[in-house]
Amino acid sequence: MSNKMKLIIPGVVVLLFLLLSSIFVVDERQKVLVLQFGQIKQVRDEPGLGFKIPFIQEVVRYDGRILSLDTEVIEVTPSDDRRLMVDAFTRYRIRDVVQFRQAVGIGGVQTAEDRLSSILNAQIREVLGADQVTSNTILSQERRNLMNRIRDNAQTSAEGLGLEVVDVRLKKTNLPDQNLEATFARMRAERNREAADEIARGNEAAQRVRALADRTVTETISDAEREAQVVRGEADAARNRIYAEAYGADKEFFAFYRSLEAYQRSLRGGNSSMVMTPDSEFFDYLRSANPDQ
Amino acid sequence: MAGNSGGPWGGGKSGGGGDDRGPNNGGGRRPPEGGSQMPEIDDLVRKGQERLRVLMGGGGGTGSGGGSGGGDGPQFGRGTIGLAALGAVAVWIFASVYTIKPEEQSVELFLGSYYSTGQSGLNFAPWPLVTAEVVNVTSERTEEIGRSVGGREEGLMLTTDANIVDIEFQVVWNVADPAKLLFNIRDPQLTVQAAGESVMREIIAASNLGPILNRDRGIIADTAFRDIQATMDEYDSGIRIVRVNLDTADPPEEVIDAFREVQAAEQERDRLQRQADAYANRVLAESRGEAAQILEQAEGYRARVVNEAEGDASRFTSVLTEYTKAPEVTRKRLYLETMEEVLGDIDKTILDESIVGGEGGSNVVPYLPLNELRRNSGDNTSSNSDSSNTQGN
Repeated sequence: MSNKMKLIIPGVVVLLFLLLSSIFVVDERQKVLVLQFGQIKQVRDEPGLGFKIPFIQEVVRYDGRILSLDTEVIEVTPSDDRRLMVDAFTRYRIRDVVQFRQAVGIGGVQTAEDRLSSILNAQIREVLGADQVTSNTILSQERRNLMNRIRDNAQTSAEGLGLEVVDVRLKKTNLPDQNLEATFARMRAERNREAADEIARGNEAAQRVRALADRTVTETISDAEREAQVVRGEADAARNRIYAEAYGADKEFFAFYRSLEAYQRSLRGGNSSMVMTPDSEFFDYLRSANPDQ
Repeated sequence: MAGNSGGPWGGGKSGGGGDDRGPNNGGGRRPPEGGSQMPEIDDLVRKGQERLRVLMGGGGGTGSGGGSGGGDGPQFGRGTIGLAALGAVAVWIFASVYTIKPEEQSVELFLGSYYSTGQSGLNFAPWPLVTAEVVNVTSERTEEIGRSVGGREEGLMLTTDANIVDIEFQVVWNVADPAKLLFNIRDPQLTVQAAGESVMREIIAASNLGPILNRDRGIIADTAFRDIQATMDEYDSGIRIVRVNLDTADPPEEVIDAFREVQAAEQERDRLQRQADAYANRVLAESRGEAAQILEQAEGYRARVVNEAEGDASRFTSVLTEYTKAPEVTRKRLYLETMEEVLGDIDKTILDESIVGGEGGSNVVPYLPLNELRRNSGDNTSSNSDSSNTQGN
C-alpha cells in the first residue's frame, strides 16, 4: 500500500508535468510560432489554448501589438540645399510571424528595429531629398503628404521583413545648430525693423494729425476773419447809408454843422495853441459894437 | 541564455524548462499594467510541483478545488490533509479574487483571449483559466512635451517663414478602452509623446511665426488635440486625449528682447499718436475760440458803427429841424457856441491887425516866444480849464 503510493505519486507528477508541458496559452497580445528543431510547425495568430509535443517543440512568442521605433536625427538636404535636421518615429507591427522569423532569425525585434531604422532613414532621405521637395515644402501643409509617402515607401521595403508599417511621422525638422545663430540674428533684425517701422509710423501719424490740426486752425481763423470783414463791411455800408440819408437833407447846413463839430473835436484839449488876428467873424464885436459900420 | 536574447516576448527558444519567465515578464515595462501577470504553463508546472510536494495530495488540477482524490499518506493525519486542502482552497480564492478601484477597469482573459471588461468592485477570475489585468482608465496622465532638458531647448520648432519658435505643451490623456490599450500598442506613453510632438511640429511647420505668438494659440491647441486623437484612433489604441495645453509659444530666449522692443515700439507709437491727438484737440479748441472772438468783435464793430451813425444822424436831423425854423439865428448861435468852446480850450495869441499888417507886422511873428507860451500852458494842464478861462477872459 505505502509502496504503491510511493510509486503512484511520482507517476502522477510525471503525467501532470507532461500534460502541462504540452499545452500553451496564446495571449491576446501575442503571435506564436511552434518550432520543432528550428522548423516551423504551427503558427498561432489568435489567442487561446494550444498544444505541442513536450520537449521536442518549443513556443516562440512575438508581440502582436503596435510597436514603436524612433529614428536618430539625420541631416537631410532638400533640393534647395537648405539643410535640415530631421527625426521621425514609426509605428509598426509584426504582420507575418513566419516571414518575420525567417527575415530576422533569432535576433528578434532588435534586429528588426535595426533593419527598419535603416529603411526609414533611407526613405526619409529619399523623399525629403527628392527633386521637387524643398525645405519650404517640408515646412508647409505638404508635410503630411511627404510623411505618407515615406510610410508607403517604408512599407514596401519592410514587406520582406514581415512587418507592417502603420505610420511614419516626422518629428523634428530643425535647422542645424550652426545655422541657429544666423536665424536668430535674422529674427532680431526683422524685429528691429518692425520696431523702427512702428516708431516711424507713430511719428508719421502724429505729424499728420498735427498738420491737419494746424490746417484746420488756419481755416477756422481765416474763415472767421472773412466773415468778420463781411460784417464790418456791412456795418460801414450801413453807416454810410444812414449818414447819407440824414445829411442829404441839407447839404449846406451839413457842411457848416459838421465843420463846427470837427473844430470842436480836433482843437480840443490844452495842447493846441493858436496865433490869430482878431479879424474873424468871431471877433467882430471885440473891436466895435457895430462892426458893420 | 535563450530567454533574454530577444525582445520582451523573446525570439529565443523557450524550452520546456521552468526557467523561461524572463522574457514573458515584459509586462513590467507597460506602465499602466498593475495587475497580475499572465500565468505561464511552465510556471504552472513548477507551482504545481511545489504544491504537490507540500500537500502530498493526489489531486490533479489546482482548478478542481485542491487535493480532491487524495490518498491517505501514512505520515499525515486526516486533519493535516484537511487543513492543507483548506489552505489550498484559500490560496486559490486569494489568487482568483481581485478588487478594482473606482478609477480602474480590468481586462479579463480566458486562456489568453479577451473575455470581458471588469468594472470597479470585487471581481472573480478563476485562476488559472482566467487572468485579469487592471488598468487605470479615468486618471489623467500628462505628457510634457518641449520642456527644455539640461539647458537644451527641446521645444524649438521651425515655422513656415523659417523662424524659430519655442513651444511647450502638455497632452493630457486617459484610457477609453483598456482592452484596446493592452492589446494594440506596446508603449502608450511613448506613443502619445511621439504623436503629440509630431502633430505639433506639423502644425507649427505649416504656420507663420506671427499668428503662432498671439491670435492662433487657441486654434493650435484645438488642431493638435484633434490630430493627436485622430492618430490614436488610427492606431486603435483605446487612448482618449483629454486636452492639449499650449503652455508656451514664445520666441526663443535668444531673440525675446527684440520682440519686447517691438512691443515697446508699439506703445511708443501709440504714445506719439495720442500726443498728437492731444495737440490737435488743444489747438482746434483754441482756434474755435479765437474764431468766435473775431466774429463777435466784428459784430461788436457793426453794432458800434451803426449805433454811432444812427445817433449822429438822429442828432443832425433834430438840429436841422430846428435850424430850418430859424436859420439865421441858429446858424449864428451854433457858430458862436462852438467857437467859444473851441477857443476857450486852446492857447491863444491874438495879434492885432495893426501890428501884424503892413511891412513891419510880418516881421513880428518870428520873434514871438512860442515855446514860452507853450510851456506856460503845459504847466497849467492840471488846472487846464481854469487857466484857459483865465486866458480866455
